[in-house]
Amino acid sequence: MADPLVRLDKITKRFGDTTALSELDLDIAQGEFVTFLGPSGCGKSTTLRILGGFEQPGSGRVLLRGDDVTRLPPERRNVNMVFQDYALFPHMTVKQNIAFGLELKGMGKAEIAARQDEIMSFLELGAFGGRYPAQLSGGQRQRVALARALAPDPALLLLDEPLGALDAKLRGQVQQELKSIQRRTDKTFFFVTHDQEEALTMSDRIVVMNKGKVEQDGTPEDLYFHPASRFVAEFIGETNLLTGDLRGTDGDAVVMDWFGQTLRGHAPGGIPQTGAPITASVRLERLGCHATRPATANAVQGRVVGKTFLGSRMALDLLVDDARGARLRAYVDARTGQSVGDAPVWIGWDESSMAVLRD
Amino acid sequence: MTRHNRILLSCVYWAFVAYVFVPLILMVLMGFKDSKFIGFPIRSYTTDWYTGVLQDTETLTAFGYSVAIAVLSTVISVLVGTWIAVLLEGRKFWGRAVILGMTILPALIPGIISAIAFRIYARLLGIETGMGAIVWSHAVHNVPFVVLVVMARLSTLPKSQIEAARDLGADPLIAFLRITFPYLVPAIMGASIFCLLLSFDDFVRSFFLGGYEPTLPVLIFAKLKSGMSPEINAIATVALVLTAVIGVWAERFTRRMNKD
Repeated sequence: MADPLVRLDKITKRFGDTTALSELDLDIAQGEFVTFLGPSGCGKSTTLRILGGFEQPGSGRVLLRGDDVTRLPPERRNVNMVFQDYALFPHMTVKQNIAFGLELKGMGKAEIAARQDEIMSFLELGAFGGRYPAQLSGGQRQRVALARALAPDPALLLLDEPLGALDAKLRGQVQQELKSIQRRTDKTFFFVTHDQEEALTMSDRIVVMNKGKVEQDGTPEDLYFHPASRFVAEFIGETNLLTGDLRGTDGDAVVMDWFGQTLRGHAPGGIPQTGAPITASVRLERLGCHATRPATANAVQGRVVGKTFLGSRMALDLLVDDARGARLRAYVDARTGQSVGDAPVWIGWDESSMAVLRD
Repeated sequence: MTRHNRILLSCVYWAFVAYVFVPLILMVLMGFKDSKFIGFPIRSYTTDWYTGVLQDTETLTAFGYSVAIAVLSTVISVLVGTWIAVLLEGRKFWGRAVILGMTILPALIPGIISAIAFRIYARLLGIETGMGAIVWSHAVHNVPFVVLVVMARLSTLPKSQIEAARDLGADPLIAFLRITFPYLVPAIMGASIFCLLLSFDDFVRSFFLGGYEPTLPVLIFAKLKSGMSPEINAIATVALVLTAVIGVWAERFTRRMNKD
């Protein structure tokens, strides 16, 4: 197989006593939209800065198309960045900002003008060419920052939480835009955020980081429905966590005991060591409410003790029978939710809906 | 605030304004007096003193000499001061505090002491008194103001600006020239005007280190010894108007630059 676009090879970075990254390995393929997701201090920004050349790893290598660029300064890497505060040059117009990287690439005047026009019409900035950054709105500045970083045609585009400064309504719109720009340019985007929703909507692939290590690396669907660890299950979306004892395995299925009920799930993060209690995660919308026992692999009986109307759907709080007060929360469609009464209900879910977590 | 206090405060304010401006107004007024002696009453007015000053080669030469010294010393202090500021700002290294302290020191030493010290030092090194020595002492005295003003401006430059320039292919020198320097221009302009005015205004250093040619303040001092006459008022008024115009222009210019 050919070299990946980017390969991080056992990157370790320490700041004083704290380890920001420990032995990070990662391959990024050409054309991917990869998101590094995690809380602050998880090492995602450090990874970005190492890719950009603003930090040097303590050990390990950064390969770009197979070439070792670990020690190259930012100006000698074919990588551009969209900064969190956009970092537009205030004394330059939009056009001059965009031309900056092109001039330093040694392009001629005509070539620069052509590229400027191309990128500005692509990002619908045509009307703003002569304006200064101070005369633009937040969303426009963000587009200029993107245009400036894309103009020199980098192999990899780094995005450092570039949507953080936008208001919620605009953010949703820009997320769509970014994704479509990435698709149309077929560029490789390396996006850093702490916002799980942002990560889920835009990414081809999400790398969840925690304490300088990769917690899980997969597609948004993978991470959401098949979390490998408790951290991932809780960080992304809402979930029910069920703590019980491991009974063993049955083919691919993991069997656990939960207050005397036998439940079947799968273990995307590997089967945990026996002995200690184990935890499994079931997403709220994967639980079904039925009047009679459903044909799903897992079914428990309980009562509805709370209903919250959420418009398109309803959240049900369910008290499980004979489970020492254990509760489950389920999303059902609003119609079904309304019809559920005080009578006992069956709660059912599939084996594939329950992820047994590795910790 | 009570009404009583307010009246008292405004009285204090206007008293202060009078204290500052009345001497200046008197000085300007006396320059137009048609008599050899300064003082009231003024019976008739004339512009002869002004025309006299503008035709007096001695005064004009001194003025030109002062301007040349001011420009030269300002160029030197701006270059040196900006350089020091760029080296010191945002960096941590051993001895930084000492270097900063030593840089600021010339601004704190009383003029007379530094003038004497310069005089001794100049003799020791065999430096001729005159223009070179004056420029040298003015430049040293002005560097701290440039350093402080430029450092203050530099500290507000977001780090991401330089990183963005580097990211787009600029080496550290190009990043400085194309991003940092334009950002510093308002501060450098402000500092330059301040240095020009400080140098133009200086008497002590110019007096101790001067050769045979007097700067404008030294010439005025020499003229004073032969007695006050409205001629001095005329010279001073011209200098006052010039410095005020430059000062106001510079203030407006830097404010406009800062807004961008």
